[in-house]
Amino acid sequence: MFKSRKRQKLILKIITYIMLIFFSIYAIFPVLWMFSTSIKPDSEVRTEDPTFITMNPTVEHYQSVLIESEFGTYLKNSAYVSTMTTLISMFIALLAAYTLSRMSKTPGIRAIGIGMLIAQMTPVVMLIIPLYVFMMKANLLDTYASMIITYTTFTIPVVTWMLKSFFDSIPIDMEESAFIDGCTRFGVIFRIILPISLPALVATGLYAFVHAWSEFVLGYTFISDDSLRTLTPGLSLLMGLWTVDWGRLMAASVVIVVPVAIGFVYLQKLIIEGLTAGSTKG
Amino acid sequence: MQPRLEEESRLNLSYRPKKYIKKHGVAYLFMLPAIFFLIILFVLPFIEVFKMSFYSVNLLNPEAEAFIFLDNFISALSDPTFYQYLYQGLIWTFGSVIGEYIVGIVTAILLNQNIRGKTFFRAIIFIPWLVPIVVAAMTWRWILNPDFGIFNVMLVKVGILDESINWLGTAGTAMLAVIFVNVWRTFPFYTVTLLAGLQSIPKEILEAAEIDGAGIWQRFWYIILPSLKGVSAVIIILHVIWTFNNFDFIWLLTEGGPLHATETLAITTYLEAFEKYHFGQASALSSIMILILIGIIIAYFKVEKKQNNG
Repeated sequence: MFKSRKRQKLILKIITYIMLIFFSIYAIFPVLWMFSTSIKPDSEVRTEDPTFITMNPTVEHYQSVLIESEFGTYLKNSAYVSTMTTLISMFIALLAAYTLSRMSKTPGIRAIGIGMLIAQMTPVVMLIIPLYVFMMKANLLDTYASMIITYTTFTIPVVTWMLKSFFDSIPIDMEESAFIDGCTRFGVIFRIILPISLPALVATGLYAFVHAWSEFVLGYTFISDDSLRTLTPGLSLLMGLWTVDWGRLMAASVVIVVPVAIGFVYLQKLIIEGLTAGSTKG
Repeated sequence: MQPRLEEESRLNLSYRPKKYIKKHGVAYLFMLPAIFFLIILFVLPFIEVFKMSFYSVNLLNPEAEAFIFLDNFISALSDPTFYQYLYQGLIWTFGSVIGEYIVGIVTAILLNQNIRGKTFFRAIIFIPWLVPIVVAAMTWRWILNPDFGIFNVMLVKVGILDESINWLGTAGTAMLAVIFVNVWRTFPFYTVTLLAGLQSIPKEILEAAEIDGAGIWQRFWYIILPSLKGVSAVIIILHVIWTFNNFDFIWLLTEGGPLHATETLAITTYLEAFEKYHFGQASALSSIMILILIGIIIAYFKVEKKQNNG
């Protein structure tokens, strides 16, 4: 009886491992295949008999993507737009999160916080028509600003709530003694809260950056000038241009994924926990 | 003494608004930038969609705009393709959400077992969620490609298929393929959220049930699923909203084709606005979509309430 139970446990464990490996392959295979394709010479890409690992790795696709196409411009634009979005939304969300965390007794503040959560759930596509009209009337179509301000607006809610839950965990005592010493609210935020919150700021900043970096539909709609285009709409247009040139398309995909991947490796735990906290509390 | 006291109380009274500002002003000041952005680019556009639904909008000649009341709605609803796209949108939405939930809960339960390498597996399984949708779409178009795509090559080699299928380019399989890609990209979000929910179930309860002879299925149905009800409701509702309105996946994979087989209301709305420049009718479609979503959500809560009462 006891023995059979032990055996059953062992079998269960083996099944668990097999299933985990299966789902891991399911999750990661496309990403590995993308990378594998990007370093293969063309003759090995277009073949009836593809291999996973190439014996003749090459960087020709990367060279042609980064040097011979508009992709370099897209990369630069995305870096600029994402950085500006991150800086602006972090500054705004920092103040809002501090207020939500420390001054929630002020009438209306809580309601604004909940309003932000509702806003976060609303899909962008529903707002794209009026946003387009707004940008047109404000003469902002085909500008970096059109992307920066909309991305900022759509990242503020999540960033605010992630920072708020972090601020909640900081003891209030230090701030109180700083107030007694005559520090202003601004002083408290910048001298006391910011230094302690550095890890949370990095994680939320990364979230904002990745959000702007990956956004597609707004950039696709607002921008028609190729010199202002960002990576994601850029890639979708190259798709039409390079229809069957999968080596190049996969190289371009890798370039887009790399910054996201690097950030994630460093901040895996913080990001997963932050996301989970946000969605379970919401 | 008397006059001074009186004066003080009078002062107090007149200074009350000032005191309020002194006490709370800084909170409003700090919130101001966030509120400003959300009102200009979120609240106002939201109202604007409803307003535009009742107008014939002409962006090039604003003076030609006219209030036409329900005409936009009538012409949208009297088009027979509307019902086809609505139906396809519902298949896309529920197919995706059900698939994501199944893969999500299975992986969450696997990751909640007491095994080695948990963090490693969790990191791997989370990866699809990090891949930008454009890149995910591009990569899957390559994998599912009828000419040299690895998916077809493998299936033919193993003998499951006689010849390659153009999964995204055939009307019969395109919807299945876009749902499949969406499930791949989105399920990790379910995994991490459900995992957090699972971790809050006390281990003792599961162990006690096991000792009492409850099998794996019984534990799943009677303990695990009920305790995940709250978390599940939140992620399912969120994803029904997001998927029903999703534009990126379908647009990047098939552009709604072939022969409109994967066209949903979200795609139609976009085409109506940005290819035909019928902004009024597109706004009416948006408004109808909002109403449908509200209907689905109310229905969900009614069913849930009934279940809880009965």
